[in-house]
Amino acid sequence: MSFVLGLRLGRWGIAGFSVAALVSAFVQTAGFYQIAGHTAAERTAFGASMATLATQFVALFPPPIRPDTVGGYVEFRGIHPLAILFGVWALASAMGFARGDEERGIVEASLATGTSRIALVASRASAFVAAITAASAAAGAGFLAGVASGHETVELRGLIEDLALLVAVGFSCYGIALLVAQLVPARMAAAAAGGVLLALFLLNSLSRVFASLATWRWLSPFRYYDLGQPLPPGGYFDTRALLAMLGIGALTAAGAAVAFLRRDLGGALVNVPLRSHRPGYDASPTVLWYLPLARGLYERRAGLVAWTAGMAVLAIVFVSLTRTIVNVLLSVPALLPYLSSFVHQQLYPAVLGFTWFNVAQLLFAALAITYVARWSAEDDDGRLEIALSEPFSRAAIVVERMAVLILAALVITAVSGATLYYASHAEGIDLNPGRLVAASLMLVPFALVFAAAGSLLAAWNPRAAVGLLGAFAFASYLDTELGTIFKLPMWLQDLSAFKLFGTPLLTGIDGRNLALMMLLALAGLGSSILAMQRRDVGA
Amino acid sequence: MLPEMGTAPIRTSQLTKNYGARRGLFDLDLQVSGQEVFGYLGPNGAGKTTTIRLLMGMIRPTSGSAHIFGMDCVRDSVEVKRRVGYLPGDVPQFGSLSGGEVVAYLGGMRGGVDTRRVHALAERFELDLSRRFREYSSGNKQKLAIVLAFMHRPDLLILDEPTGGLDPLNQQEFYLLLREARDDGATVFLSSHILSEVEHVCDRVGIVRDGKLVRVAQLDELRHIRVHNVELEFAPGETIPEQQIRDSDGVESMTVSGQRVACSVHGSFEPLLRAVSGSRVVDLVSTEPSLEEIFLSYFKEPKPKLLKS
Repeated sequence: MSFVLGLRLGRWGIAGFSVAALVSAFVQTAGFYQIAGHTAAERTAFGASMATLATQFVALFPPPIRPDTVGGYVEFRGIHPLAILFGVWALASAMGFARGDEERGIVEASLATGTSRIALVASRASAFVAAITAASAAAGAGFLAGVASGHETVELRGLIEDLALLVAVGFSCYGIALLVAQLVPARMAAAAAGGVLLALFLLNSLSRVFASLATWRWLSPFRYYDLGQPLPPGGYFDTRALLAMLGIGALTAAGAAVAFLRRDLGGALVNVPLRSHRPGYDASPTVLWYLPLARGLYERRAGLVAWTAGMAVLAIVFVSLTRTIVNVLLSVPALLPYLSSFVHQQLYPAVLGFTWFNVAQLLFAALAITYVARWSAEDDDGRLEIALSEPFSRAAIVVERMAVLILAALVITAVSGATLYYASHAEGIDLNPGRLVAASLMLVPFALVFAAAGSLLAAWNPRAAVGLLGAFAFASYLDTELGTIFKLPMWLQDLSAFKLFGTPLLTGIDGRNLALMMLLALAGLGSSILAMQRRDVGA
Repeated sequence: MLPEMGTAPIRTSQLTKNYGARRGLFDLDLQVSGQEVFGYLGPNGAGKTTTIRLLMGMIRPTSGSAHIFGMDCVRDSVEVKRRVGYLPGDVPQFGSLSGGEVVAYLGGMRGGVDTRRVHALAERFELDLSRRFREYSSGNKQKLAIVLAFMHRPDLLILDEPTGGLDPLNQQEFYLLLREARDDGATVFLSSHILSEVEHVCDRVGIVRDGKLVRVAQLDELRHIRVHNVELEFAPGETIPEQQIRDSDGVESMTVSGQRVACSVHGSFEPLLRAVSGSRVVDLVSTEPSLEEIFLSYFKEPKPKLLKS
């Protein structure tokens, strides 16, 4: 029963990630035939350009094998990003079970039926494996459909091995997140588990750039994922690496089950004893609670500090990476004429602008999604209802939510932008301060577009809002990636905030794009206010 | 602050919320007077929470209207809420915020907090506001919800099953608080599925069942509705005054098994106690039946299909 319940509770995630995997794999595969050319020479040239492009993403993905083939290209552009996406899904799913369901009393009710704690963990982990297998199969189906559209065939064995790697890396992330969630208090579980997974990911990916990290990368499940690229011809599959990931997943899930056995429901395995203190009967005297906007920021202060510090650290990492990437680019003689004529003296800003602001866009989209997840949760846990029992209009609630997000985005972008500027300066990379400020500020309306869409979704269907917004963000990303390949109409491409963001560090802000972003945000905000006013709350 | 003279704190007209499949609330005509404690009584799923959410403007009526102090509950919802204290049926989850932070957060949305009032309420219920909400027991969560509803001295209190999770001592304290609020000029609309609770604190009672207001009764009439299941055990060898018991006012459904007598008693216990006064009774157990049983015996209506098992 717990297995079925796990699938039932995660149905939106299963549907959303399966659709995302299917669409992504299909679009990337079909896109290959649009852009790679048809002759051997065209494909060789395409493969070479992809290999060059890949050097800029070395901190995210392993270098591709045979990107001149559909398997190599899709492995790099479609499957590797899916591994990251599935890692995020694993984190969200593990937190949902270990903490969310526990707070809602679902775990307590399940245990009351006579289900043992170990059986509960095993069934929910199995449910996640089933879910991620379904989503991986959807990715495989998308790939096969895309290959069929190019009138080619591929070896099924490589595809199956690739999908097995996706399942294994997702399962290992799930197990790790589940284990960490048992160790720390509930309020810190998501941050701690997310931090551990991010650290493990960066440990492996940065080890490709910083040799000193290579000694420790065996700790990361992503290292074992890297050891196989079975999709392209001549690719490789390491059975031991697959077993290592499955072993990590099984061991950490077992560890989580043992920890779950030894801790109290709602508590942590490592408990800090409560200090004795005199009871307090007063409202919090902190003045920020009484100020509109400030109260929203103050309530999320821990998250805000974590986001700000994380983005600042990432900015420093990306500045360090820029030198390495540029050195690689400059070592390719064929690229020198292109580099000197196209980017003139702005090679460093161009590379930094491309890598950092690409990642920053993804992170700001993620920031918006976390805020929307909170809004949806407020609906579910009764906080929206109690807030609406105060003399506060529904429109004011929506506007305040958005304003808090804007302020948070401003704080994060200001600190990370300043860090980027000073870190670049220390590395001898001169960035145009005005353009950097403008580019950093562009991240705010960018996040606003997603928040506005999320606000509308949360007002319409709070339970599905996060999944649908994730799909919207993913579609927007694909839109900008593949809009030109598939010759999508310009108005459709312009709906993607990723496309509208442009390259502000290199070319400045495009006023039309900024206006369009603001228009999209305002349209989303206006319609979410209308939707919120029309809907029933708490019913 | 007293409500305006002549304007009923609560007035509904043909208020309907139809969820389909005969679920919801239908054609509710109700008026609650100033300084009245109005009990809204009904079994689970009868439509109590739906009514309250309609009054609070959380959900929109399918038809009809609801007015609080003469203001429309949907159109003037912000103004309405300035004068209302609300205790929802399910206490909202505030995670890692402390009780004091929750009070400050929601008080801030109202424009400020009466710190002395909050202190007095928290102290009265022995609610430690410095603890995190997550650490609260269910009773403490309910106490926090009570503090939130009462902290701004509202003219109208709308309370959805307010004593759930409270121990008997705190329940008594809560009833006292309700009376004080009424004496200070407030009107109270209180939903419950516990007959004795409503009887304890309310002036007038509305009984709702299957989404329809079945009856609005004064407290005296409620006492007549009241039913108890009683079991008496007579001493071994003692003759059971069977006929006297059967003839007592309010006694129904009597069965005798050995030295044990089971029956239901409507209204006062006095006739029954008089009937057995000459006999040696070694055990007497009285239980309050569920509302559903009361409805079955009093209104003689069939049991709703949803409750069949």
